[in-house]
Amino acid sequence: MAPPLDLSRRQFLAAASLATGSALLAGCAPGTAAGSTTQTLQFWHLLSGGDGVTMSSLLDQVNAAQDAYRIRPTVLAWGSPYYTKLAMAGTGGRAPDVAIMHATRVPGWAPGGLLDAWDIDRLTELGVDESTFPEPIWKKGFAGDRLFSVALDAHPFVLMYNTDVCDAAGQLDSDGRLLPTSSPEEFLEQLRAVAGTAEGHGLSYGYLGDGAQMWRLFYGLYAQHDLAIDLPVGGSMGIEKDAAVEVLEFMRTLLDGEIAAAQNDYGTAVAEFATGKSGMFMTGVWELRTMQNAGIPFDATMIPTIYGTPAVYADSHSFVLPHQSAADPERRDLTYRFVADMLKGSFGWAEAGHVPAYLPVTSSPEYADLIPQAHYAEAAEHVVYDPEAWFTGSGSNFQGEFAAAVQGVLLRGDDPGSAIDRFERRVNALLAQPNPADPEGTWKP
Amino acid sequence: MTTTASTRVVVTGRRDATRLPHAGPRRREELVSWAFLTPFLIAFVLFLVWPILHGIYLSFTDQSLTGAGGGFVGFANYAEALGDPVMWQSLWNTLWFTLLSTVPLVLISLLMAALVDRGLPGQWLWRLSFFMPYLLASTVISQIWVWIFNPQIGAANNILTALGLEPIAWLQNPDTNMIAIVIATVWWTVGFNFLLYLAAMQNIPPQQYEAAALDGAGPWRQFWSITLPQLLPATVLILLLQVLASLKLFDQAYQMLGGVASDTTRSIVQYIYEAGFVSYRFGYSAAISYVFFALIVIIGVAQALVVRGKKEL
Repeated sequence: MAPPLDLSRRQFLAAASLATGSALLAGCAPGTAAGSTTQTLQFWHLLSGGDGVTMSSLLDQVNAAQDAYRIRPTVLAWGSPYYTKLAMAGTGGRAPDVAIMHATRVPGWAPGGLLDAWDIDRLTELGVDESTFPEPIWKKGFAGDRLFSVALDAHPFVLMYNTDVCDAAGQLDSDGRLLPTSSPEEFLEQLRAVAGTAEGHGLSYGYLGDGAQMWRLFYGLYAQHDLAIDLPVGGSMGIEKDAAVEVLEFMRTLLDGEIAAAQNDYGTAVAEFATGKSGMFMTGVWELRTMQNAGIPFDATMIPTIYGTPAVYADSHSFVLPHQSAADPERRDLTYRFVADMLKGSFGWAEAGHVPAYLPVTSSPEYADLIPQAHYAEAAEHVVYDPEAWFTGSGSNFQGEFAAAVQGVLLRGDDPGSAIDRFERRVNALLAQPNPADPEGTWKP
Repeated sequence: MTTTASTRVVVTGRRDATRLPHAGPRRREELVSWAFLTPFLIAFVLFLVWPILHGIYLSFTDQSLTGAGGGFVGFANYAEALGDPVMWQSLWNTLWFTLLSTVPLVLISLLMAALVDRGLPGQWLWRLSFFMPYLLASTVISQIWVWIFNPQIGAANNILTALGLEPIAWLQNPDTNMIAIVIATVWWTVGFNFLLYLAAMQNIPPQQYEAAALDGAGPWRQFWSITLPQLLPATVLILLLQVLASLKLFDQAYQMLGGVASDTTRSIVQYIYEAGFVSYRFGYSAAISYVFFALIVIIGVAQALVVRGKKEL
């Protein structure tokens, strides 16, 4: 044992507070790494759970591969608080070097100067350019002619299916893949057949109190009509009401208690499919790990094209440069390197279910062997993102407004037409408000 | 604390004034009292007065959380707020919740206090278990009740189905979610009112009950004629605290619904939060909070007038 220190109470208190104080200050200091030439880059992201584990192993990988930089990640909870914190860090002049944003949130952010644009030439030098991304994903990074976000992935809304249950229902082809359907009637027929052999429901779809889940299915099917919702600044929402009503009625048909439970929340739907009680599951690809860990026999595919045009609702985790008033050129340069390294090493990200945006990864032979990921990789060519406005995107209140208008249709069979009218009124009220990042409307892309 | 300090200053001041003008000790004492007050005053000005003033200023600007804006817009935010149906809906939700929660929170706590005070054996156990939920954080409460109200595997629906009733999507159905939040809130906070009532009941001198019993008054008579009238001051206090607490509805509703805005449960505090921290409109958010502030002042004054009117009777 160490000899007891001979300190008076005051000396002890003074020493203790000094120690705590310096520890706190050290915590605030911008990272300085051990090696004198190694720069520490601050990286914020919102990936937790299985995605978080995968992300940290990817970071370990890029950190270990070189000595120029080390990434220090800060993980914050998914959702609107993440964006609030990122915005405040930027406003307070302490933005991280690089951060992950949902691509759908970028349109609300770019105008306020919260983000710096990427230098396309510099990215090209590092092997990251238009030719290495599916077209809709690359284009999504732009506001005007400036690139504000570089996608790591697309995470589409897909259809997972239990191969045992679907096989028993006679719905698999000779390769063991789900038989394609091309109209609402065909798809419903298939679902009813699956419901007949499943222990629980034919389909697990959780939506209660979850605007994102309702919106993902709705907007994907709406876009299959070769339509998009238009949100012009200061104008009113452009929506094809007949198509919207048709989709809502179809969704309502799914929730008949036989095909899918009439009242299911997201967690219960996950549990139902993971325990093998249902035949199919509509969800984002991020649940892939959960299902693999559950050990059920399953495969995955795009949501069937039942209204003519292939379209898959998706979002992308994208790299952005939070605005720095005096960006250190050396750190910026390393940030570009980091992003290029991450994209090139994103095969590991595919294992978590996401479709890597970087084409050299998805066109590799290893990726073709990655099942079921390779079975829905095509989705990247047909991704449809949220309509662009400052108030849309993942974790925004737009999807909440959709839920408020539409849940009654799904839950109680309210009139779909008046639900769409109500949604339109609320969205028009939002459209009438100025973009808070650019209240005077002076920003030009 | 502060009142004692200032009273003492006044008293010594008077004493000094009757003697010879001898400023020394009096000023010294004043300085000492200010020294004791300073820590509080600093916090008071920094965290209450300044934010209130700055909030008023913000409500006249289009300041954004992103740092953009900040220009003076006059009463535009207030005009927008008064014409905003979502603001009115959230105000109504807040008042509706206040009404729905205050009535059971007063009546149930009174009943619980009466049971513990008069009859139930093992008083300490009841006291502890009635008060215990109040000690839990709102996050814990929300988690517990989210499970109880789970549409598929929750205890609430198990009870309903055991009774032969249809299960309900408590928190997700707009017809029932407010009721669900009220039930959780009552369970959570009733212990505090219970404690206030119990203390007030135990302050009633037992001799009054003995005298009444001698005159032949039964337990009901005693409760109506002795207990209830003497609980009036406690009831006024409980009502006042409860109305103010219920008007502040936010955390349990926000957490139980997973942060999803529901038209039937969005409280005004949640709307202020959404305007400021989800839509980044600080100016507008500040304006709504002052509309709400005006409402609280009106309710407070009305309550004070009613109480004063009762006292004069």
